[in-house]
Amino acid sequence: MHPNRSVETPGVPLVEMRNISKSFGPNRVLSSVSLTLAPGSVHALMGENGAGKSTLMKILAGVHHYDDGEIECGGQAERIQSPKHAQELGISTVFQELSLLPNLTIAENMFLGREPIALFGTLDRKRMYEETKAALEELDLKLSPGLLVSELSIAERQFVEIAHGIKARADVFILDEPTAALNAADVEVLNRQIARLKAAGKAVVYISHRMDEIFNVCDTVTVLKDGRHVASEALEGITESDLIGLMVGRDIKDLFPQRGANFEDVLLSVQDLKLQADSPPVSFQLKTGEIVGLAGLEGQGQQDIVRSLVGVFKPDSGHILVSGGARALPLPAREGIRDMQRLGLAFVPEDRKEEGLYLGLSVAHNVGISLHSQRPGLAWAKRYKQQVTDAVTSMSVKASSKDTSVGNLSGGNQQKVLLGRYLAAGMKVLVIEEPTRGVDIGAKSEIYTLLRQFADQGGAVLVLSRETIELIGMSDRIMVCHDQAIIAEMQAAEATEHAILDAALSTSSEANERAAVA
Amino acid sequence: MTSALSSPLAQRLLRIPPAYYVFGALLLTLWLTRPQLFNPNVMGIFIRQVAPLGILVLGQLLVMRVRSIDLSGAGVILLVNYIISSGLFPNGTLAFYLFMSIGIGLSVGLVNGVLVGLRRSSAVIVTLATNIILIGVVQLLASGKPPGDVPGFLRDIYNSKVLNVPSAVIIWVVLTGVLSIFLSRTVYGRYVESVGENPTAAHFSGVPVARTVVTAHLLAGVMAGLAGLVQTSSIAVGSIRFGLDLPLNAVAATILGGVIFGRGDGGVWGPFFGVMSFAMLFIVMTTFGIQEPGKLIAQGSIILIAAIFYGLRS
Repeated sequence: MHPNRSVETPGVPLVEMRNISKSFGPNRVLSSVSLTLAPGSVHALMGENGAGKSTLMKILAGVHHYDDGEIECGGQAERIQSPKHAQELGISTVFQELSLLPNLTIAENMFLGREPIALFGTLDRKRMYEETKAALEELDLKLSPGLLVSELSIAERQFVEIAHGIKARADVFILDEPTAALNAADVEVLNRQIARLKAAGKAVVYISHRMDEIFNVCDTVTVLKDGRHVASEALEGITESDLIGLMVGRDIKDLFPQRGANFEDVLLSVQDLKLQADSPPVSFQLKTGEIVGLAGLEGQGQQDIVRSLVGVFKPDSGHILVSGGARALPLPAREGIRDMQRLGLAFVPEDRKEEGLYLGLSVAHNVGISLHSQRPGLAWAKRYKQQVTDAVTSMSVKASSKDTSVGNLSGGNQQKVLLGRYLAAGMKVLVIEEPTRGVDIGAKSEIYTLLRQFADQGGAVLVLSRETIELIGMSDRIMVCHDQAIIAEMQAAEATEHAILDAALSTSSEANERAAVA
Repeated sequence: MTSALSSPLAQRLLRIPPAYYVFGALLLTLWLTRPQLFNPNVMGIFIRQVAPLGILVLGQLLVMRVRSIDLSGAGVILLVNYIISSGLFPNGTLAFYLFMSIGIGLSVGLVNGVLVGLRRSSAVIVTLATNIILIGVVQLLASGKPPGDVPGFLRDIYNSKVLNVPSAVIIWVVLTGVLSIFLSRTVYGRYVESVGENPTAAHFSGVPVARTVVTAHLLAGVMAGLAGLVQTSSIAVGSIRFGLDLPLNAVAATILGGVIFGRGDGGVWGPFFGVMSFAMLFIVMTTFGIQEPGKLIAQGSIILIAAIFYGLRS
């Protein structure tokens, strides 16, 4: 199915975003990014995770406010104040997280916040039904407006959101990973709807990681990288590898310590881990001195794999062996983490503010707690003065004292306190999610060095990161996840971002061969 | 106004539990208006009255620090009171009554703890339900047979004094001190602090979260049982309708003492002074000749002010 790739229609663009900049606190997520949406076009927005795609679209949808730049809608300068304002300007969004209320009917969702009033101030249900029906019919959907949204499939919900935009006479439709949860048949239907919108002179922004879809559906592409605009071009004449080249391809800085050399005993062995009953088995090993990275696009199962190792995710089946101790998976949810800590495996969660740290408590408490948790509750608490001091100094945590609340530290120092907790507890295997999320470049480098030291002293590290460059730099070996399986494995020294992204994007078994070549 | 409140000094003052301010203000009022009441005998009598509440508060603050709540205290106190005054155990010794009170508290605490900590049921609903069941059980046991006298020796102990301080007050202060040391010095205290601050982080750092919550409910049950024993000793004849407002007052005193769900700023002594504030309020109101309705209004207003006070914190 190839809709014609029309050459961009000249004339007034529907939306023009110029030099948009946005920071969240100290993190600059967009620097001077521009995007032009022409009528009758389907515009692919591409970039690695964290490149700024979603932020740019949330600005257009009125969810975030930009710091700098300007937006024109239909040739008129506009400052988009709120999602409601964006809707009034004709911008309709289907976000990854669906925003329909499941316990209301389709019609009630369509008119949420703008319910028509009949005589005597009651809801004009008749009008709601009729207008909803008309909008659904425009999409050839045979759904009753009185159906509860909770009874719809994910695909149908997305269509309802699109119908919502049609009803509001939107000109611009933002589809953020619309096919992430769809099966092939539904993708077809969705593509037909997109073609229909395009023929009607609307502009569609299409965010997706699936290359084949991009080339099927879109006519124009804009690539972002690290919050900067890389290119905006017609898709005609561009090849898949050109596009991947635009998305990656930065030079690796001298951030990383030397890789490990001698890997001896197996410390962690995972056998036949099946996330779901019908997913393929995953097996891998970690040896002493080794740092292994897990790469892959969002939601391909890598997070579930690492969380299975401590009982936070409940897989279907499998076995885990940690320095001699064997356990069957799934691990018990309540005791899994404690059991693994006893065997010497610690899990460092991604969200350090919600899942990792006690922001209101002292550095000493945050570091000491994993030592305390290995002892019986009725025992007198030891002070662990030496261990806490050692952890703070060896990690060069910058805190005015050990009694400072962790919430007052910078992101990098918070992350070091979190790592320090598990290093102080004498663990042998660290399983880490996003070791440097929201951390500045200097602290990143220190964290890489600390993890390498840990491995060199006989430990092993399994690290999950969305930053491919980080995985290549810090790991010895990289495993790439796709669709709940490890589909490729490569030596980090020989891996390239290109090869990893290629493997992660690919649905075919070629990935293995390509990775082997790279 | 907002800028003055965000200054470091103001924020530091706002960290002090309101109980201390209220207690200080009431003490000052009393000293200025009725200095003659400032003697240990008079004060002791009044403070003795709140000792059961004070002991109940020790359990309440513990469960609130692990983000739970216990509203079943009234039921436990009522059951303890009924069993002691019913004459079912005419030859009961002090040790017997002590073990019985603790046993009842432990059983109720176990039910609450398992349902809240392991089954993850709502603490409000669970403890409210166990409370209703316990009250029903007492009324069932008592049907057609009014409760009898409280054994004299319990009343004698209640009326005794050590170094001019009523025994009930000493028991309360000692229990408070023990809990204070327990929470600040044991591994369990670290668990409580962790779970209160962030249960998810506690789970990820290896703290046995469920066990911590269950233990807190067990201890809260024990405290309720002991509160029941002291409460029963303070009266001559048993009753099946008393102490029903105690658990709510215990929550109020705990909040006044700086322990709000998960936040243990007041430690153990904050809520202690929350209870002391209620005692002082009782004295001040009585000396001004204000009756029960006025006391309730004043007590409620103080809790409202505490709520506003917490709202001012940044």
